[in-house]
Amino acid sequence: MSLKNSSLVLLIFSFVVTTGSLMAQEDYRYLPMSFFVTSKPIGDGGNLGGLAGADVHCQALASDVGYGYKTWRAYLSTQARPGQPAINARDRIGEGPWHNVNGVMVARDLAHLHGDTIELARLGNNLTKQSGLTEKGQIVPGLNDYQENGHNDGDWDFVKTTPYSNRHEVLTGTQVDGTAFPSDYDYTCDNWTSNQDPAELGPMGAASSKPNVQIGFPDRNGGGNGSWNSSHGTRGCSQYALPMTHGVGMFYCFAID
Amino acid sequence: MKIKKNKLVNLIAIMLAPIMLVAQNVPELPESEDIPSSLMTFFVTSEPIGDGGNLGGLAGADAHCQKLATDVGQGHKAWRAYLSTQARPGQPAINARDRIGEGPWAHSKARLLDYLDRRLGRPLIKSQIHGDTLPEAQRGSNMSKEFALTEKGEIVNGIGDPMPTRHAVLTGSQTDGRAFDNTVDRTCNNWTSNGEGHAQVGHTDRVGNGNISWNSANTTTGCSQEDMASHGGVGLFYCFVLN
Repeated sequence: MSLKNSSLVLLIFSFVVTTGSLMAQEDYRYLPMSFFVTSKPIGDGGNLGGLAGADVHCQALASDVGYGYKTWRAYLSTQARPGQPAINARDRIGEGPWHNVNGVMVARDLAHLHGDTIELARLGNNLTKQSGLTEKGQIVPGLNDYQENGHNDGDWDFVKTTPYSNRHEVLTGTQVDGTAFPSDYDYTCDNWTSNQDPAELGPMGAASSKPNVQIGFPDRNGGGNGSWNSSHGTRGCSQYALPMTHGVGMFYCFAID
Repeated sequence: MKIKKNKLVNLIAIMLAPIMLVAQNVPELPESEDIPSSLMTFFVTSEPIGDGGNLGGLAGADAHCQKLATDVGQGHKAWRAYLSTQARPGQPAINARDRIGEGPWAHSKARLLDYLDRRLGRPLIKSQIHGDTLPEAQRGSNMSKEFALTEKGEIVNGIGDPMPTRHAVLTGSQTDGRAFDNTVDRTCNNWTSNGEGHAQVGHTDRVGNGNISWNSANTTTGCSQEDMASHGGVGLFYCFVLN
């Protein structure tokens, strides 16, 4: 009995200590949410209704959980078009710091978020599988989290009814430094208006005249690099094409105030 | 049948050559699903030495890597612990990154075919894991919880997994893989102390202390085995094949 108790105490103690060391640097718990991954996609592939439609989606999801009083922006870039300059995702989201729904800081400022200096970049920000939560506090399911025998986790018909299957690819249309891509190839599903696929679904990534979108991983695990905002492209822009590489069309939302 | 397989390996090698840095030394396709894979050139020690930050110096740590590798049939390779030492009078510092060769390095479940359809199987590239250029540092490397396996193919328990957490891994190194200056101890007195001192640690799951560093996330407040536990570790370290 006493042995049991002491091991329980030890367990609690080591939990406290571990949690404590996690928070040792800066304690940002219990601060209002200013960052989340959308708990659900808009559902029409890469067609988000442009940046405006994506911002509305962020605002609506935030409102559902009591954060509608903040001004929300989707972390998305658009590419330059004749008469229309490019828009950089990093220029849309305010100055930070940003906290998830549990008050854990994911980044202090834009430089921390993007690793603007090599020292910052090597260390990385605090966006991890544990902190990259939805507005409801859910972890975004990643690789190996949930698999069902005989089902393909790249098939939208399975994925849409299986909330715990892998869906960790988050739309950004952005380069690692938070800026827009040049406009030669499509990296933004035609500035978030296209749900089209190439005539034949080929490999993922950008190519001439091919609908494509650049994605990142909130769980920092995939694509051979783990970039949160710019890991690789997709096979197309339809709602059916996105799951083939393990995304469903979710994106990051940041509060600018 | 054997010839066919070799042809397949050659074909894969040719296909990979332009893309992959492994082109020069494409290894043999593993014969089976054995763990560890014959391709293994990187692992996290499944067990610590157990005396806190006293590893018996770099030599003792290397011997631990070699022993664990030998236990799983990979002792014919030259294993090095990924650890730095700090400068002492008459003794220059040693950088962890300079001890392990040039890579690339594959984990204990590596299968050559992974390179073709799954990017997760891609080996570690030296400049990427250290972020030698700004774009490389910003994008990151393939070092992930699923990549940082023990020599037995096990995932190291991290934040959110059942206790005890074992994710804090001794390195004594800065994020670029180099030694610290000697103003503050970061190497448990060059891996000889199980009491006084501090060890710089990284996190195998890329979670903890407000950053995602695998090799330089945090500094322990002591060097005893208990101090390791209070920082979410048990004194594991990374082993690389010198190649």
